Parts: sequence; structure tokens; C-alpha cells
Amino acid sequence: MRIDASAADPHGRRTFLSRTVVAVQAAIAAVVTCVVGGAALAPSFSAHRRRWQRAAALSELDDASPTPITLRLIRQDGYRQVVDRRVVYIQREAGGGVRVLDSTCTHLGCRTRYDAQAQRFLCPCHGGAYDLDGRVLDGPPPAPLRRLEARVDGTDVVVQV
Amino acid sequence: MLALLLDWLDSRTGYRALLSHALDEPLPPGTGWAFTTGSVVALLLGCQVLTGIGLAMYYVPSPSLAYDSLRYLMTEVPLGALMRGLHYWGASFIVIAAVVHLLRVFLSGAYQAPREMTWITGLVLLLVILGFSLSGYLLPWDQKAYWATTVTISVAESSPIVGPFLADVLRGGQQLGSLTLGRWFTAHVFLLPGVLILFVVAHILLMRRHGISGPIDPQPGAPIPFYPFHVIKDTVVMAAVFAALFTAAVFLPAHLDEIANPADANYVPRPEWYFLSLFQLLKYFPGPLEVVATQVVPGLIVGGMFALPFLDRGPVRHPWAPSRRVFTLVVVAVGTGIVTLTALGLRDAPVRFDPNVWGPQSIAGYLAAEGDGNSCVRCHVDGGPASPIRATRMSRDEGWMTFHLGDPTAIAPGAKVVDPNVEPMLDDDTVRSVMAYLRRVRAGAEPPTVDPATSATVRTIGTRCVACHRFQGDGGETGPDLTHVGARRDAAAIRRIVNDPNDEYGDSMMPIYGSRLTPAEIAALAAFLAAHK
Repeated sequence: MRIDASAADPHGRRTFLSRTVVAVQAAIAAVVTCVVGGAALAPSFSAHRRRWQRAAALSELDDASPTPITLRLIRQDGYRQVVDRRVVYIQREAGGGVRVLDSTCTHLGCRTRYDAQAQRFLCPCHGGAYDLDGRVLDGPPPAPLRRLEARVDGTDVVVQV
Repeated sequence: MLALLLDWLDSRTGYRALLSHALDEPLPPGTGWAFTTGSVVALLLGCQVLTGIGLAMYYVPSPSLAYDSLRYLMTEVPLGALMRGLHYWGASFIVIAAVVHLLRVFLSGAYQAPREMTWITGLVLLLVILGFSLSGYLLPWDQKAYWATTVTISVAESSPIVGPFLADVLRGGQQLGSLTLGRWFTAHVFLLPGVLILFVVAHILLMRRHGISGPIDPQPGAPIPFYPFHVIKDTVVMAAVFAALFTAAVFLPAHLDEIANPADANYVPRPEWYFLSLFQLLKYFPGPLEVVATQVVPGLIVGGMFALPFLDRGPVRHPWAPSRRVFTLVVVAVGTGIVTLTALGLRDAPVRFDPNVWGPQSIAGYLAAEGDGNSCVRCHVDGGPASPIRATRMSRDEGWMTFHLGDPTAIAPGAKVVDPNVEPMLDDDTVRSVMAYLRRVRAGAEPPTVDPATSATVRTIGTRCVACHRFQGDGGETGPDLTHVGARRDAAAIRRIVNDPNDEYGDSMMPIYGSRLTPAEIAALAAFLAAHK
């Protein structure tokens, strides 16, 4: 029982059916692929949600120099929550505001320390140096220290993380 | 340009000859819509594989994370709930499609010689599909999953001779836990798919080797090319089935129960609907006869199906022909039995769990954890020494939580000895209520609204009464259900019973609450319960 698959198709019926088959099956495949692909890729493009968090009481801060404060950040890591610890330097500004700098060196991510005598943030890894505003003074850092949005809320300093 | 590329590809791979071999199969004249059932099964299998791969990207086969990973997928990941819905409903659709395909093959006598092995590989595939359902059921690690699997393993355990050994293998030990989840996950995503691929390939090759059986009564005319004249029928039916599957996944989202609670002795386990007939059958064969429902009846049905092509060798294919009538009658009887038992089983379907329908126990837990007084929010607060309660995913085990709730300074149970002279911060009843509350939180519930006028009374019910009595869905079975107690007793009688049950019943096992609650508390409790008619 053999048939000639290339038999003449004078009315174009075979072509029409073939195209319908391909179109419908491609549509089904596209729907499943979009659902699975969308769910698979979505977290890769989700935006980081920023929120305000209490960092310290104003009374804890030094008047003259930046005060290191360890932030306890609860971060959503997919289906679990993890706690990150991040050290920031908080300094009072004239006019009652605060300036909050991330202590992480922008070169390779080491933690900077504040040298009160030199009034500089120094990175122990490769000698990067920043001034009180976080601007690069010396060494390889490509950018200033990251500044966090911050404000005074009553007696507390709150930062955006 | 494209034609040149395809010509080159064909010269190197010979794909056109392969395609032509696959598509140009001549079908017997009269091969109609009834012969599309196999394609539907193939479509659904493909859909399950793709959505399964997507689910595996998020799922974690561990008791502490399985539930959370799935809830995350369903609530946080765009299209995640739809993807799980397709997989969840796909499991049901595929069982129906496989059974419909099997019935079509049976009715048309297509299992007869020389197609015995096509039938047998198909039966193996049906068992593999049921194996997928059974193993996939445990993976969400919710109440339904945990308790249904407990029953499944108990059924295996009741097998003669090898039962206890088989149960230990299925559990990975004496207890249902992380090792069980690991091996069921492995079976679901590695072992069974391997067997599935092997047998699908064998089934299709055998189908091609012997050709499609075609209509029962051979029809005159020229053979029909498989492509596109039969494929268009396959495609139309596949599109209709897929549209139905997609609609189910969109409008009836896959359900997730409360997280598995091995300590909950009151949960009534239920299998998925396609195992409901066996579950119902178990009710009629109690005790030593259980093996009849769990082994003998299913064994006879499966054994009979495997033996069928050797009992009915053809060539008469009509289902009501004298030589086939007995087989058709048996299939109709078994089918009617399965449908009847399933319908009976569906009748007492449990109430669908909704985390936002609060019972007194979880409300009491909420009041204890987040209300005033000795509450958890002293530490579990944003910026505090511990994660906020709603961010706490309760990944610790029940024992740890009980210890910690009794003494919140103990975060390393075992390292600290409990001082017997110090009262625990929360008593056992309150600890249970807080655990019930935390399970709600984990199930994604919003905090309940509690009327301040009755909160103290609800807290008493949710910690004390539910230890033995059921009230609005929560609680034990030792005492009578109190949900509509007001219809049976007035406030004065309830007050008398709570104060000292021996006054009412003579000798009662219920504790005397006259010495544990103040008269005002008892009066408020009695008035509250009496109002529930």
C-alpha cells in the first residue's frame, strides 16, 4: 500500500491543509513556549525594590566624623530570605541633614575604613583613598563611594536600601 | 538563499528523506477522527515535559523549601501560576486522554495480533503516566501532598511479604521526610521520563511497523496520506484539547494547601480524582481484607489488560462480535465500577483550603504573636534583632519552633538546658496556636481582622477549647463540635459545663476550667458560644 505523496494537487487543498497544520501547531507551541519562557526569564529582568529602613538613632552619631553603622538588610533571594550586613558611614551635615556613604570600595569591593587623622576613607586592599564626600583622592577606584539616599525621621536616621 | 542552505543541510543529514518517511505514511481508507486520540496524548506529554522543565527551574526538593519555592513561583513570578496551572491540569487531562486512547484501541480491537506489543507498550505508558501523577503529588509538600502520600505508602506497606520492605524503600527509611521527597522527585524528573521516552519511541516504532489498524470494517478506496490529510484532524482535536487545558489553567488556578504538618492528626487525606475509585474501594474492604482493594482488584485489572491480546487473538474486531462480547462486557463492568466509585468518592470531597478563612486557633496564634503582651514583635520587627514575622519563613522544624516559642531566648535548642523553675513564655496550647498562625502566614494569608470585644474569648477558644473540640474548622475530635453549640445549649448551661463539667455530666474527662479561667472569662466564653447557633 504505497501512495504517491507528490500527486498533483490541482485545487491547492494539500497546500491549504499543510499551512493550517503548521500554523495551528506553531501557535500551540508558541503559547507553551511563551508561558514557560516568560516564567523562566521574568526574574532576570525584575527591578530591585527600594525601601526605607532605620539605620541609627541621631544620638549614636559622632558630631565630627563619620560613624560606621552596620545595616541588617533582609533581602529576598528568590523563595527565601537572606540577611545581608552592610557597613555604611553616617555623617551629620550642616543644616540638620545626614550623609550616608557605603563603605564598599568601588575598585574591587573591599571594605574601606575611616582614618580620622587623615580625614579620609582608606581601602586596605589596593590603597584607594576617598574624601569625606566619598570622592576619589588616590589609588585605582574608578568611582566615588556610593551614596545612599537618607533622611532624618524624628530622632532616627533612615536610609533607602 | 534559504533553499540553498536547506539543500546543503539535506545533503549532510538526509533530513528530507526522514521527514518524508515520517509524514508520508499511507493510512487505510476511512481512517477518521477516532484515530486522533494518540496525537492528543503526545501533545499533552510534550506540554507536561515543557512546563515540567519550567517548574524544575524553581522547585527545590527539600521539605523546608519545596512549599516556599512553589508559593514563590505562583505569587511572585510572572506567568508562574499559569505554568503550574498547565502542568497541574495537564496531569488530569493526560490521564483522561490516555484512557480515551486505550478505550478506542480496545473497542476497535486494535490490540489483536500482530499488534500485541504495541498494546503492551501503551499499557506500560499508562502505568508510567499514573506513576508521574503519584510521584508528582508529593512534590508541593503541602497537607494534601503529605497525607495522600502517607496513604499511598501505607497501601504499599500492606502488600504481602514485601510490603514493609517496599514501604521503607519508598520512604527512604522509617519516616516520611526529606529522603522521601528526594527519591520521589528523582523518580518524577529523571527515572520516569527516561522510561517514558523509551516506551514512547517503542510505541511509535511499533505503530509504524504494523501500520494503523484502520476502521473495523475495511473500506474501499485509495490509501490516505498521513500528511496532511490525517494530520489536519489530529491538529484540530489537539487545538481543541489545548484550548480546554489553557482555559482550565487560567480560570481554575492550581491549588496549594497549607504546608505539610506531620503533627496534624485530624487531616483527612484525599488522593487525586483518578485514584479516588481505589480510595473509595478501600472503604469496603476494612482490616485484613484491605489487600483485596489495594492489590487484588487493581492487580486483576492490570493483569487482565496485559493478557488481553493473548486471550483475544482476532481477527474479528467488532466489539459486540460473539468472540469479543465477553471482553467488552468486562470492560464495561470495570469502567462502570470505576466511574461509580469515583462519583461516590467525589461526594465527600473536602472543603478547599483558603488561607484567608481564619479559624480560632490561628487567630489566637496571631493575637499571641502580634498582639500586645508577650509578643514576638518585640524582636521580630523591621530593623530589629530578628526578621519580621511575615518575613520569617518558618524554615525551622516543629521541635525547634516549639522550643523557641516556649523560651524565645533559646535559638539553639539543645545547647541550652530548660530551667524547670522558670515558666515558659508561651504554654503548649499557645505555642500550637502560634504555629497554626505561622502556617497561615506561610500560605500567603493576610492578617485577620479581630473584633477587640471578642478577641480574648477567641483566644481562649483557639488555645484551650480546640485542644479537644472542633470550632469553625479548627480543633480536635475528642469532644463534640462546638461550631453550632448555641443551638444545643444556652449560655447558662455552657457556663456551668465550662466551670465544672462534672456538674453536668457526672464523670467527665473535660478539665475543670473554673480554676483556670476567671468567672468573667467563663461568662464571656459562654455568651460567645451560645450565640453560635
